[in-house]
Amino acid sequence: MSNWHTPDANARLKRRYGAERRFKAVGLIAILLSLGFLAFLLVTMVANGVSGINWSFLSNSDSTDAATAGVWGSLKGSLLTMGVTLALSFPMGVCAAIYLEEFAPRQRWVDWVEVSINNLAAVPSVIFGLLGLAMFINVAGMPRSSALVGGVTLALMTMPVIVIAGRNAIKAVPPSIRDAALAVGASRVQTVFHHVLPLALPGILTGTIIGMARALGETAPLLMIGMRAFIATPASGVTDPTSVLPMQIFLWSDEVDQAFVRNTSAAIIVLLVFLLAMNGLAIYLRNKFETRW
Amino acid sequence: MTDTLKITARDVNVYYGAKQAIENVSIDIATEHVTSFIGPSGCGKSTFLRALNRMNDTIPGCRVTGEIKLDGEDIYVGDMDVVQLRARVGMVFQKPNPFPKSIYENVAYGPRIHGLAATKPDMDAIVEKSLRRAGLWDEAKDRLAEPGTALSGGQQQRLCIARAIAVSPEVILMDEPCSALDPIATAKIEELIDELKGRYAIVIVTHSMQQAARVSQKTAFFHLGKVVEYGDTSTIFTNPREERTKDYITGRYG
Repeated sequence: MSNWHTPDANARLKRRYGAERRFKAVGLIAILLSLGFLAFLLVTMVANGVSGINWSFLSNSDSTDAATAGVWGSLKGSLLTMGVTLALSFPMGVCAAIYLEEFAPRQRWVDWVEVSINNLAAVPSVIFGLLGLAMFINVAGMPRSSALVGGVTLALMTMPVIVIAGRNAIKAVPPSIRDAALAVGASRVQTVFHHVLPLALPGILTGTIIGMARALGETAPLLMIGMRAFIATPASGVTDPTSVLPMQIFLWSDEVDQAFVRNTSAAIIVLLVFLLAMNGLAIYLRNKFETRW
Repeated sequence: MTDTLKITARDVNVYYGAKQAIENVSIDIATEHVTSFIGPSGCGKSTFLRALNRMNDTIPGCRVTGEIKLDGEDIYVGDMDVVQLRARVGMVFQKPNPFPKSIYENVAYGPRIHGLAATKPDMDAIVEKSLRRAGLWDEAKDRLAEPGTALSGGQQQRLCIARAIAVSPEVILMDEPCSALDPIATAKIEELIDELKGRYAIVIVTHSMQQAARVSQKTAFFHLGKVVEYGDTSTIFTNPREERTKDYITGRYG
C-alpha cells in the first residue's frame, strides 16, 4: 500500500485544511468590515433623514428656511448635468476606444495617446474644475454655474473612464469573430459596427454607468466653476444657473441651523437612491445584452 | 482534362517583420481540383493560404511580395478591392467561428452586406441553398432562429461553410477545418468537400495526411516556408520525387 495514511501525511493534510480555514476567515472579516461601514452610513442617514423625505422636500428647491427647502432644483440640475456629460462623453469615449483598439497603427504616437488617456483618468477632479473654469467659462464664454459647463467639465473626467472600459470590452471580443466577418467580405468598419461593438456593448455600458455614477457624486470640480451658489428656482435649461445634489449636500451641511441636518441626510438618501438605481441599471443592461457563447 | 486555373501564384514571399515565413512559392490552383497543403507545423502553409485572400493584411508587419493572380488579376495591386476579393475567395477557419447570432443571420450576413438579395424571399432562398449545399439544411431548417453557437462543433463548421458559400465565392480556403472535430463530423465535412468540388476551387490546409489523400487531387508539401513538392495527390503519396516528401509522408518527421 502507499504511504497516504502515515501520521506525517495526515499532519500535512491538517495543515492544509487549517490554512484554508484561516484564509476563509480573513476574507470574511474583510467583507464584514467594509459592509459594516456601508451599513453604518446607511443606518445613520436613514435614521436622520428618512423623516425629512416627503413630497414637498422632493418638489421644492433650496430655501433659507429648512422647513420649506427641497432637493428638486438640485436633483433637476444633476439630471441636466448628467445628460450633458453622457451626450458628450459616451460617443467620444466609444469612438476613441474603437479607433485605438481597431484602427490605430502600432506607432509611437499611439502609445503616447494611450498613456495620456490612462493619466487623464487619474488626474484629481479639482484640476478638471480649474480647466473648466479657464477653458469653458473664460475662453469659450459658457454661462457660469450652468448644467452646460458642469456637464462639459464632468465629461472630460468621464471620457477616459469610458475609453478604458471600452477598450477592455473591445479587446475581450474574440479575434475569430473579426476573422469571420472579414472573410465574408465585410469592411473593417462593418466588422466593428456589426459584430465587435454589439458584443462589446455590455462592457462599454457598464463602464459608462460607473463613470457616470462617479461624475454624479463629484463636487470638487463643480466648486471651481461656480456651482456653489444659492439657487432657489430650478433651472429650465442647461444654460441656467443650477445646483447639483452633492453640492446641495455640501451647502446644507455647512448651515448653522440645526434643522438642516435632517435635510442633509435626506438629500444624501436621494443621492444614494439615484446612484443605486444607476448601478442597478448597469447590472440589468449587462445581463440583458451579454452574449452567451 | 483541361484545367481552368483560378489562382496562379508566382515567386511569393511572405514576411512577418524581418522574418521570412514563405519563400519563392509558385503554385497553380484549378477549379476542378481540391488542392491540399500539407507539412509540419510552422512550415507556412496557413500563412500562404491566408495570403490568397489577403487575410494577412490584418496582421501588423506582414508583407507579401511576388505575384498572386485570381483569374489573371493581381490581388495585391492597387485596384483590387480587398473586400470584393474576400467575397470571391471565402474562408473557413480552424475553429468553428459562427457569429453569436441566429443560424439564419449567420448565413444571411454576407449576402446582405454585398446586396445580393433584394427581397426577403430572395434572402430566404440564398439561406436555404447555402445550408443545403453545406449539408446542414435538414438539421437546421426548423431551428433557423436559434443561435448558431447552440449547434454542435461539426454543425457549426458546416454553418461556417454555408456562410462562406452564401456570397457565391469562386474559391473556398479551408484552414484545418476538421482539427477541432470528432471523426464523424470530420467524415461529414470531407464528404461535403467532395460534393463542393468542381463548383468552387477548394484549397485545404490539413495536418492529417490521410485527409489530404482522401479529399484532394493535388497536394503541395510545404517545408520551412518552401514548397518541396507539388503535384497529383496520388503521385505525392505513392511515388514522391523528393526524399523529404517521402520522409514526411511515411511519418519519419513532422
